[in-house]
Amino acid sequence: MGALGFFSSHELDTLETMVKIAFMNLNLKSKKFLIVEDLANMRKAIRELLYTLDVQHIVEAANGLTAIAAMKRERFDVVLCDYNLGEGKNGQQVLEEARFRKLLPYNAIFIMVTAEQNQSMVLGAMESKPDEDLTKPFNGQQLLMRLERNQTKKEFFANIEQAIEAENYSLAIQYCDSKLQEDNRKMHLHLQKIRAELAVNTGDFKKADNIYREVLAARELNWARLGLGVIAYLQNDYESAIDVFQKLIDSQPMMLEAYDWLAKAHEASGDYLNAQAALNKATNISPQAILRHKKLATLADKTGHLEIAEKAYRSAVNLGKNSVHKSSGDFSGLAKVYSKTNNSAAALNTLKDMRKQYVNDPEAELRAAALETEVYQQIGDEEMSEQAYRTAQELCEKLGDKIPNDLRMDVVKAHYLKGNDESANAILDQLIKNNIDDEHFIGNVKAMLGSIGSEHHADALIAPIKQALIEINNKGVDLFKRGKLLEAMRVFEEAAEIMPENKTIMINMIKILIYDLKKSGFNQHKFAKAQDLIKKAAKYGVNPDKIGNMLMQLEKMSAVNESKV
Amino acid sequence: MSTSPINNFPTILAASIHDIKNSLSTARELIAQLAKLDGVAETPEFRQLEFEATRMNSSLMQLLILYKIDSSLFSPVIDEYQVKDILDDVVAQQKGVLVLGGIGLIVECADDLYCYCDSGLINTLLNSIINNAQRYCRKTIVLSAYQSGDSVCFQVEDDGEGYPAELIADLSHPVANGPGNTGLGLFFAATIAELHGNGTKNGIVRIDNDSRFEGARFRLFLP
Repeated sequence: MGALGFFSSHELDTLETMVKIAFMNLNLKSKKFLIVEDLANMRKAIRELLYTLDVQHIVEAANGLTAIAAMKRERFDVVLCDYNLGEGKNGQQVLEEARFRKLLPYNAIFIMVTAEQNQSMVLGAMESKPDEDLTKPFNGQQLLMRLERNQTKKEFFANIEQAIEAENYSLAIQYCDSKLQEDNRKMHLHLQKIRAELAVNTGDFKKADNIYREVLAARELNWARLGLGVIAYLQNDYESAIDVFQKLIDSQPMMLEAYDWLAKAHEASGDYLNAQAALNKATNISPQAILRHKKLATLADKTGHLEIAEKAYRSAVNLGKNSVHKSSGDFSGLAKVYSKTNNSAAALNTLKDMRKQYVNDPEAELRAAALETEVYQQIGDEEMSEQAYRTAQELCEKLGDKIPNDLRMDVVKAHYLKGNDESANAILDQLIKNNIDDEHFIGNVKAMLGSIGSEHHADALIAPIKQALIEINNKGVDLFKRGKLLEAMRVFEEAAEIMPENKTIMINMIKILIYDLKKSGFNQHKFAKAQDLIKKAAKYGVNPDKIGNMLMQLEKMSAVNESKV
Repeated sequence: MSTSPINNFPTILAASIHDIKNSLSTARELIAQLAKLDGVAETPEFRQLEFEATRMNSSLMQLLILYKIDSSLFSPVIDEYQVKDILDDVVAQQKGVLVLGGIGLIVECADDLYCYCDSGLINTLLNSIINNAQRYCRKTIVLSAYQSGDSVCFQVEDDGEGYPAELIADLSHPVANGPGNTGLGLFFAATIAELHGNGTKNGIVRIDNDSRFEGARFRLFLP
């Protein structure tokens, strides 16, 4: 018995020592903490807990808005955020916004505090993942251990993460490869995951495939299996991709990422109905992800399943109230669905709601005015329709080229409905020129013209532009192949004047510049030009793997140049 | 079509568990506030209160997970973990209750031991087994982990009277075994073990009274 008594006190000693060691490794004195918690007495309890850990710099926020404001003011090392924050944003929305606005430095630790473990399981399936989750109630030692573990991990990956943040992929890969050589067992699998993602993001599918298969040979892990599907998808092998994602879902019915990719693969292969079905299932499992509702809404709108579209738009509008992904486009999307089902009253009401939420926002005003033009005409109120149309025209002048493409389509439709074919055609012509290589967009143009009974007009507009692009492209590529780089570049530059947002042309110009830099040596002017074009291409939605690949080729040249100097 | 109340019973049950859990977390927050009053935390009554609340919470948690598994709303998320980290988390969670109860928790685990599992599930499982051990041990619990063939074995031993014979005989069904023992913890452990498969091999749970103190021994083998 005496021996057992000894164990007990001995254990106490070791526990205390553990805490002390953690103190020394972490030095929390210099760390800035943010507590996000709506209940005052809970905030107090956590603050007192932190004081016992020697934390000195503590800021408190009682809701999501003040939390975001605090993170904008200063950079925190640790954010302890409760998931349930009462009215307003929840913890997940705070995290999403903080990541989206880049308010969390790469080494910051975001800890989601949940009331039960169940909740954290649901959160694990969301797109923005916290670094850690803690279930209430938790004690100082639990917190310390999580902090220390994360700190060690963040330090280990620091240079890789910084390089990725700076979009210097070749450097990130270099760091990653050298760390893989170190053979750190604890970090190895995570390193492999990052290395594979880097390979995917720079278009090196063979490397990524090798890593995923190596991991899977040791163990069937979801992320590695998903990775194989993603690689197939990016190489346009939709059939294999669908097979991978479907099998993953069969064995892991809660893996939401797999549903999203399945939907993407179905959509890319032209099977909108199955894409819609996959997203519908995922939104039923986890109704909190706003981006998925948006995607589902546009898909269902396209397939004519207006009930599903209405429900999804409504969810997007509701979730948007507290989300960084709030958008006036969801309101107008919902209003359009109502207008299609001849529910004009609901359409007008939705636009009224939008105006309330977006005060002094010209884009939202324009969305409302363009749609009101249509809806009032629908119900035979010519006067109101005319007034809305005039407002829309004024706002168009004011906004100029800041109007997003989907909204420009609404404006085009309003012009047509008011018999102003000249203005409509001018905008549409430019839109088609910019997006002639985007099948989805061209599909939307056709659908819009179909809705006002001008299907034939679509072909008449689209066909010559497509032909012109093909000719320009052939001409440029031909010159390039014959080594006439300057002339080839000039052909694409001229084309870019006419269709400044066209992705095919941008990519071709970048390719010529990279080839030229490789062949005739480093040139600061060409280098900067290529950089600008890549940025522009990313902005207009060129696939990330293509962007990553071009960036990496460019970085390699700049690295070679620096080593020469 | 009218739905039979019996068909809805699992759903009603799950919703009720959720609701009870919410009430319980409010109660636990109040208990935590009570602990700050002078002299309260050290009393045996308070310790008992805290322990029972923790135990209720753990049982409800297990019921909810079992419900989700049963209705295919749940699948484990497997990753590789350093086993020591998993054990350290359990020790940290148990620290307060054990210290107050004067019970020694000894941990034995090699630094270079790794396993594939859903760490959240294994954490819930081990906490529940240790909660149980606390009720029946005299002074000491040993939590250990080691490589056993192509599996990793998590082991909880105590110095109490050991498991009753009926329990050891059949693990696959929860057995009512006197007040306070529904067999839920072991049923939960066996279910979670089953979910941890590698190829054709699944995890298993073994219980016996061959602990180093001749008390209860719980073993979880994860392939």
